[in-house]
Amino acid sequence: MITANDPRLEMEFCGMRFGTPLVLLSGCVGFGEEYTRVKGFSNRDAGAVCLKGTTLEPRLGNQPHRVYETPAGMLNAIGLQNPGVDFVVRDILPTLDFSETRFIANVSGSTVEEYYEVTRRFDDSPIDAMEINISCPNVKEGGVAFGNDPQMSARVVAACRRATSKPLIVKLSPNQTDIAANARGCLEAGGDAFSVINTLMGMAIDLDSRTPVIGNNQGGLSGPAIKPIALLKVHQVYQVCREHRVPIIGQGGVQSARDALEFLIAGASAVGLGTALFYDPLICKTINAGICDYLGRHGLSHVSQLTGSLRLHERPPVVCGC
Amino acid sequence: MNHPETRGTIFLEDAEVLSHQAHPGDQYLLRIQAPECAAAARPGAFVHLKCDPQLPMRRPISIMRVDAKSGWVDLLYKAVGEGTRLLAQRRPGEHLSTLGPIGKPFEVHGERPRVLLIGGGVGMPPMVFLASSLRPAGGHTPWAPLVILGSEVPFPFQPRPSQILVPGLPPAVIAAMPLLDDWGIPNRLASLQGYPGCFDGYVTDLARHWLESLDDQARGQVEVFACGPHPMLAAVARLAREFALPCQVSLEEYMACGLGGCAGCVVQVDTPKGPAMKRVCVDGPVFDAYQVFS
Repeated sequence: MITANDPRLEMEFCGMRFGTPLVLLSGCVGFGEEYTRVKGFSNRDAGAVCLKGTTLEPRLGNQPHRVYETPAGMLNAIGLQNPGVDFVVRDILPTLDFSETRFIANVSGSTVEEYYEVTRRFDDSPIDAMEINISCPNVKEGGVAFGNDPQMSARVVAACRRATSKPLIVKLSPNQTDIAANARGCLEAGGDAFSVINTLMGMAIDLDSRTPVIGNNQGGLSGPAIKPIALLKVHQVYQVCREHRVPIIGQGGVQSARDALEFLIAGASAVGLGTALFYDPLICKTINAGICDYLGRHGLSHVSQLTGSLRLHERPPVVCGC
Repeated sequence: MNHPETRGTIFLEDAEVLSHQAHPGDQYLLRIQAPECAAAARPGAFVHLKCDPQLPMRRPISIMRVDAKSGWVDLLYKAVGEGTRLLAQRRPGEHLSTLGPIGKPFEVHGERPRVLLIGGGVGMPPMVFLASSLRPAGGHTPWAPLVILGSEVPFPFQPRPSQILVPGLPPAVIAAMPLLDDWGIPNRLASLQGYPGCFDGYVTDLARHWLESLDDQARGQVEVFACGPHPMLAAVARLAREFALPCQVSLEEYMACGLGGCAGCVVQVDTPKGPAMKRVCVDGPVFDAYQVFS
């Protein structure tokens, strides 16, 4: 099987070398070591691993239930449980094998100042890049409250920019009216790349108790159910990114090489995996092989040739038939 | 660079269904061929099963027995939701993607050889697995276990009068699980449903009978292990506290990755540093009862 280190998959992302275009998404793989419990799993099969959302102080996170299966997807509301940035930098990062993949911190907070401070502390660490999480739907302050307000999004990005010269990847929320406008503002504020999209807000209800199943009442919906939405959002953000050569990590319901290819064609340079890992922890190998197979069958020499290769239908004038 | 010892300890296997028996009360006994899991599993561990290709999430199911030589793993589960109902349709010869063994196992301690195992409903399997590890080998064992199993639906086996005398229990309580009896493990059954030979009451009431029959020295050698519904575990923890006994409980929670990656399956525990959220999958499923039920 073709796996990592196939030259057709190796790429540069914001100056970082990715072994493959696959990125393991924040909140799905803990702090980078958890999935290595599975025999056959290797962080080398992913171009980068995004660590769990990290705040200035430790957070307990939300009460259970935190996850629940829904049709073609799942809800989660973890609530940014994490041990705080100082613990992550001091006790976790030294245990990670940076020769295996690129490790990206996920910066979260309740205030602009907190985002700045967390970024600053990660700047003074071996971390390769930072993803700014302005789209977490499961916390009361910060998160999506910032991400859905273009001005606030830009303020957060600008603050983080002041704190580091490492690559800043802005994770955009789908729970907003004009994602492209927000992306434009974040670019002007100093963002280097985008993660598109975070989860969509949703709810599940227990009929016996007439209460929400999720302890946080609402949660973020992920999985194949959201893939068409994510594809469109990637396409929309790509329209902003294309001229600036700003890369996108496309994500949302990717389960197969076919899904990953669709995201690349829509405009993504890399493809994020989250919920699919819960189902198949060794899925990176399968998707890497599937992408290589597609490249071979279509006479392409490198995965980057796919990015933004979408050919839209020309829009004929609509004639009202009624 | 030194990598953690946890690397490569969980196996993803395409496990063949060897047998699948339905029992009353929507209970199913499933035997799968998963040799790597069977060789590595310890009592308390579980597997994370892909029940059906249409479902986006796996289901955690505790292990009841393994045979490392033959490579099979026995699971007992109750069909309660969509996932387990679809699992119940799997037939011998089909394959199930199996991730396991997962979880921190039970720990027995030599200074407390009187091991009291309490299992309720689908909490029975981990107790059977733990009991299997306490079997007399060559007629000798340092362990003096007692297993108490409770169910409010017919037991997923045919109870029979025990061949093993257990001092301190009501004499009419004779129903036992044949498998445990054959292993030489003293055991009794409890139910509120009036099943013949079973103790008419809660598992904790029967456990109390036994604990009160012990003298102080013997009671000081008891450690309690339990798995079952949350109210039962809370009652077991209260009983253990009353008799000042150490107690380990196995918990369940909705679970996504099963590998410690998502922190979706947490339980709040008390630690010396204050409250903490622990992952049932890899920090558990076995926890100190006093940390969970404070």
